[in-house]
Amino acid sequence: MPYDQPTDPEQLRTLLLGAARRDAQAFHALYVAASPKLFGFALRIVRRHELAEEALQDAFVSIWHAAGTYQGALAAPMTWMAAIVRNKALDILRRLDAVPEIDLGQFDADVLDQLQDSADGPAEALQTSDEARALAHCMAALERAQRQAIGLAFFHDLTHGEVASQLSLPIGTVKTWIRRGLAKLKACLSREGL
Amino acid sequence: MNIRDNPELRDRLAAEYVLGTLKGGARRRFEGWLHGDAALRMLVLEWQERLVPLGEFSPSRVPRARVWRIIERRLHLEPPPKRWQFWRRDPLQWWRTLGLTGTAAALALSVVLALQGPAPQIDTLATLTDERAQAALLVTADHRRGIIAVRLVGTTAVPDERSLQLWAITQQGTPRSLGVLDEKGSAQIALNERALGSDVALLAVSLEPKGGSPNPNAPTGPVLYKGSWVRML
Repeated sequence: MPYDQPTDPEQLRTLLLGAARRDAQAFHALYVAASPKLFGFALRIVRRHELAEEALQDAFVSIWHAAGTYQGALAAPMTWMAAIVRNKALDILRRLDAVPEIDLGQFDADVLDQLQDSADGPAEALQTSDEARALAHCMAALERAQRQAIGLAFFHDLTHGEVASQLSLPIGTVKTWIRRGLAKLKACLSREGL
Repeated sequence: MNIRDNPELRDRLAAEYVLGTLKGGARRRFEGWLHGDAALRMLVLEWQERLVPLGEFSPSRVPRARVWRIIERRLHLEPPPKRWQFWRRDPLQWWRTLGLTGTAAALALSVVLALQGPAPQIDTLATLTDERAQAALLVTADHRRGIIAVRLVGTTAVPDERSLQLWAITQQGTPRSLGVLDEKGSAQIALNERALGSDVALLAVSLEPKGGSPNPNAPTGPVLYKGSWVRML
C-alpha cells in the first residue's frame, strides 16, 4: 500500500480531483487505496464474490465519469464513493431479483460488533474515517435492536416489513424504532460536529 | 401531499430514503419532489453523510487483480507503455517511418511476385522489416483461398530453441496473437478480421520461448520485425 493511511481523506480527495482531471494514474492510486474497503462493502451487500466484483467495476466506471461532479465541501470522499458502490450493488440485486440469505448472527459479528464505542476499538483498527468513527460512537448509544434494525435495512435494502420478519417483531414496533433511532443518530452526530 | 411546510416530515422521509426503507410508490413520489426541491436534495446529501459510513464497518477485502483490468478496459485507460511497445510512444511518427520503408518494400515485392508467373490471388501483403529497414518476413493474404501465408525472406532465420510469433497490433496498441511460426519461419493462418480488420495498425513479430509467448495477450520477448498491410489494386 503506497500510503501510510489507506483511507486518509485528504489523500483520497486529491486523487479524486486527479481523476476528475482525467489523470489515469491518480485514478489507479484511488482504486488501490479505496477498493479493499469498497469491495468489502459490496461483498457485505451482495454476498457473492462475482457479484461484488461486478458492483465494484460498475462503481469505479461511474466514479471515473462522475469525478468531475464531486463536491468536496458536501461529501467525504469515502462516503461519496461508498454511496455509489451501494447503489450499484443494490441495482445488481434488483436486476437479478436476488435476495441474499441473511444470517443474523454473521451480520452481528461482521458489522454490528464493529460499531463499538472505544477509542482503540475496531473502528480504529479498521482505519475508518472520522465520520465512521463518530457514527460508531452514536450507533453504540442506541439500543441493540434499534442498531440491528437500522443496520439490516441499510445493508440489505429491506422494507419495514422485511426487517420486522427478520427480527420477529411487529412491523409497527420496527417502524417506530427505526424512526426514533434515526432521530437519535442525527442528534448525536450533530453533537459530534457532523 | 405538501411536504414543504413540514420540516420534520421532510427530514424523516429523506432519512428513510437514504436508509432504503422508503419503498414503492412513496419512494417514487419522493424522487419526484427531489427534482424541484434543492433543499430536499440537500437533506438527502446530509443523511448520506450520516448513514453511508456504515459501509466502512464491513471487513475490508482486496479484490482480485482482474477487477482493475476490466475497469481499465471498460474505460479505455491504457497502462503506461512497456519497453517493447515502441509503437505506443508516438504512433504517428511510427506510421510516417513505416509508410516510407514498408510501402516501398511492399511495392518492390509485389513486382517480384507478379513476375513469378501464375501467382496466387494475393490482394494484401505486408513486408516486415528489421530495425535497419531490411525486409525479413513476407506476409501475404489470399482472399480467394482464405489464407494468410507467412515466410521468411533474405537471410532471416528462426533462432534455435526459440520461436517467432506473429501479432496484429490494433490502433489502440493492443497486441493480438495471430500464431507461432514453425522452425522454418513459415505459417499458414486462416484469413480473418483479427488479422486484417480495419482496426489493425501493424503487424509485428516477437522472439519468444519455444512454442510462443506464455502470455496469450502480449509478447514477452523483443519485437524483431514489424510492418503494415498494403492493399494491392
